[in-house]
Amino acid sequence: MVQYFADMYAAVSSAFIGMGITIKHIWTKPVTLQYPDERQVMPDRFRGFVHNDTTKCDACNICAKVCPVDCIYIETEGKAKDRYMTRYAIDYNKCIWCSLCTENCHTGSITMSHDYDHSVYDRRSLVYEFMDPTEQKIPCHRVTRIEKGFWVEPKEDKPKPAAKPAADKPAAETKPADPAPATEPETPAAEPPAVDDGGSSDDKGETK
Amino acid sequence: MATEEHKVTKGWADQDHVGEVKSELLELNMGPQHPATHGVLRLLLHTDGEIVYKVTPVLGYLHRCAEKIAEGVNYKQWVVYSDRFDYLAPMCCNHAYVTAMEKVGGLEVPERAEHIRVAVAELSRIASHLIALATFGLDMGAWTPLLYCFREREEILNLLERISGGRMLYNYMVPGGVRYDIPKDNWVADVLDFITMLENKKLDDYNNLLSYNKIFVERLADVAVLSKEDAFQYGCTGPVLRGSGVQFDCRRDDPYSVYDRFDFDIPVGLGEMGTVGDCWDRYMVRVREIEQSCRIVRQALETLPDGAYQSIELKKIVKAPAGAAYSRTESSKGELGHYIISDGGQTAFRNKVRSPSFCNLQVMEKIGVGLMVSDLVALVGSLDIVLGEIDR
Amino acid sequence: MEILTDLFRKMPGGDGMSDQALLITGAVVMATLMFIVMALCAIIFTWMERKVAGFIQNRYGPMRTGRWHGWAQAVADMLKILGKEDIIPAEAHKWLFMTGPILVLLGSLLAWAAIPWAPGFVAADLDLGLFYIFAVSSLVILGLLMSGWASNNKWALYGAARGAAQMISYEIPLALATIPVVMATGSLNTQDIVIAQQGGIWNWNINPVHNPFLFIAFVMYFIASIAETNRGPFDMPETESELVAGYHTEYTGMRFAFFFLSEYANLFLVSLIASMVFLGGWWAPLPFLDGIVPPAITFIIKGVVMVFLNMWIRWTLPRVRVDQLMHLCWKVMIPVSLISVVGAGFWMILFNQV
Repeated sequence: MVQYFADMYAAVSSAFIGMGITIKHIWTKPVTLQYPDERQVMPDRFRGFVHNDTTKCDACNICAKVCPVDCIYIETEGKAKDRYMTRYAIDYNKCIWCSLCTENCHTGSITMSHDYDHSVYDRRSLVYEFMDPTEQKIPCHRVTRIEKGFWVEPKEDKPKPAAKPAADKPAAETKPADPAPATEPETPAAEPPAVDDGGSSDDKGETK
Repeated sequence: MATEEHKVTKGWADQDHVGEVKSELLELNMGPQHPATHGVLRLLLHTDGEIVYKVTPVLGYLHRCAEKIAEGVNYKQWVVYSDRFDYLAPMCCNHAYVTAMEKVGGLEVPERAEHIRVAVAELSRIASHLIALATFGLDMGAWTPLLYCFREREEILNLLERISGGRMLYNYMVPGGVRYDIPKDNWVADVLDFITMLENKKLDDYNNLLSYNKIFVERLADVAVLSKEDAFQYGCTGPVLRGSGVQFDCRRDDPYSVYDRFDFDIPVGLGEMGTVGDCWDRYMVRVREIEQSCRIVRQALETLPDGAYQSIELKKIVKAPAGAAYSRTESSKGELGHYIISDGGQTAFRNKVRSPSFCNLQVMEKIGVGLMVSDLVALVGSLDIVLGEIDR
Repeated sequence: MEILTDLFRKMPGGDGMSDQALLITGAVVMATLMFIVMALCAIIFTWMERKVAGFIQNRYGPMRTGRWHGWAQAVADMLKILGKEDIIPAEAHKWLFMTGPILVLLGSLLAWAAIPWAPGFVAADLDLGLFYIFAVSSLVILGLLMSGWASNNKWALYGAARGAAQMISYEIPLALATIPVVMATGSLNTQDIVIAQQGGIWNWNINPVHNPFLFIAFVMYFIASIAETNRGPFDMPETESELVAGYHTEYTGMRFAFFFLSEYANLFLVSLIASMVFLGGWWAPLPFLDGIVPPAITFIIKGVVMVFLNMWIRWTLPRVRVDQLMHLCWKVMIPVSLISVVGAGFWMILFNQV
């Protein structure tokens, strides 16, 4: 019998406490951002749509190999000094925005932008071609690139990496040499801002 | 009264009528598309009115062959697949995989990286438990705690986005360390502020609004009691096991990473509102684990050492010597283990995942019997399963 | 109704109409008016529900349709529902399937006939007003069962069975809770009940000082009304997380709109009854306001306040399980309602209020 009345009291009192909490929230400011009028500012490291600056890319294929879902399509023709890149495409149907490609790129041509809202009506439009086939083909070999006036990454004068963990090994540093800011003015204005995080760990100086 | 057969001998207007009336169990399909099953889970129910006599989970709707893919991509690339298992606490899954991989590969991890790993894994755990509370409340009909819990989860997701770049699926840990160091924009202070706010204000809100609400308690007390013996037999881990009164936690009993340095309690189900091991106990264990995770995050970040955030022997291609290793970690759902067999190359020979939700789901066939349909929904919610883990 | 008939007599050609023709015209006009009010209230209350839910949950609710806080959202929803394809499942029982929603709507709509909006302004001045309201509300149960059965869907059947059991059970405390008021007023006529509460907030039937058992009766009535409308903590028949949508799973288009309309019409109806029976109907809380604010507006405002209370409770409390719901009705609410009836009687005799 006592339990009966205790239950009734517990039900009513807990209901009132709950109602007090909810009514309090009516007067707090809602946390919603009215998209698309108000947008959230993305942090620096935000992994948005991948952008490849083909003037810097030399088709080394690292990004295509390291991609876990094989969404990067690179086509080249020729060999050695006559090797040219003919197609660079990223298939956003497959891309998972993991940024392994940007991490392993040795020239810094591929970067993650801050864009995230590129919905399309047709799935085929999600395959982004970064190279215009009518334009000049991009040479891959370093010597050819210098000849034709393409950008090449500066060769850093570093001691050969030793087998023992040396104190000056740059991989452990938090701020490696970042080629991207030095060449910012070269990129045309139409491209999205290529913000590459300074905390990227991999050694950009090494070539494979 | 599963199946009965009656013989009716008198029909309408007293005619002689010999017939048979059979009754059988109603076969209901709580199908893959259902608002209450947390993901694409199919439950085949045999009910008699409201009472369930048999429940059979049917799985496989979310199978994505992640373990087979592990035989094709190398160790560093597979981290993104580990994210997709328990997509509500992806840092914990990352942590589980890289711990196993380091065990096979014999890699050392610097101190700073370990502290960062613990901090983000615990934040992920808090986020996952917030969803557990939110969706459990939603299943029980309380629409509002869902929005409150998601508001806190948004904060966590923003913090984790600042450190890793991804909002929900992070790909943040690598074998040998973490991908990036802590950002310079006051991240640690923001995390500590958030933790303080969560501990002081929000948890009280959730408790007053939902946990101790009489209607909620009445729905869950003494419902679907999981005894200690059954929990052991079925291999349950995590809050499901702790809700039955067993104090077992991989972080304390089989410590990995740097958990042995931190001071935290293991909440267990005490049968406060009913029996030990009922749905309310499992739910309350999660609420209390949020508090404990806050403690761990605070300790991890306040004692953060300087140094490298990645192993200095880390090469671009990570190879592991031939061998096999099993390592287990405490994910938010339970014990998440990886058994990695390596053949000496950069790709695993076999990567078998021991997922906690898969083993936890099995108890449904035992304790789901005799419940009402509404209680079954409560049971599924209290087990807190994630189909990504179950189907892999 | 007399107001309407007087109005018609004053109109050109009104003198020549016979009494019967006048009655029928008045009834038709009144019925159309009720239907329009019901449709309007459905639209306004869906919007209000979404906004209240939004602000309770720390968000905005509809904001875009219609520039100001999404006021046109409900209108857009109605238009969308009207444009949907009308699907009848192949194995469904066609006639029952089509009649179910009609009965549900009818049950809600008929009861509006006895609600007094202002002095003299009631569609049907019945001496049995309150009794008629509760009697006619039972049609909803019939419609519910028909819809659930005819859908040929096991989940819908679950919802219908639960819903029928719940609604039948909760009609008892609902009616019992209004009996103390009837005892205090001495009449079942809805107009008399309101007239007896004249004089400001002190004279309203809810006043615990005059008769505490009437206050208990109000609480019982309120809880029973939430259960009767299948809302809030008692929405087992249509639990989204278990039964997808309960008895109206298989309905689309206008038929679904019927269920939708009837839910909000029922909600407003029970709120209006609560305000009429316990909260003083069209009388303002302070007597001097009676001349300033039109009585119908006061009445509607009271109804809206009760609806807001209903919504507040819905968005706070979790769902009660079916057997606990039955336990609550039969073992808690009916005894308390009976005690309030007997107690109210004793109180009135003791304090010479009879």
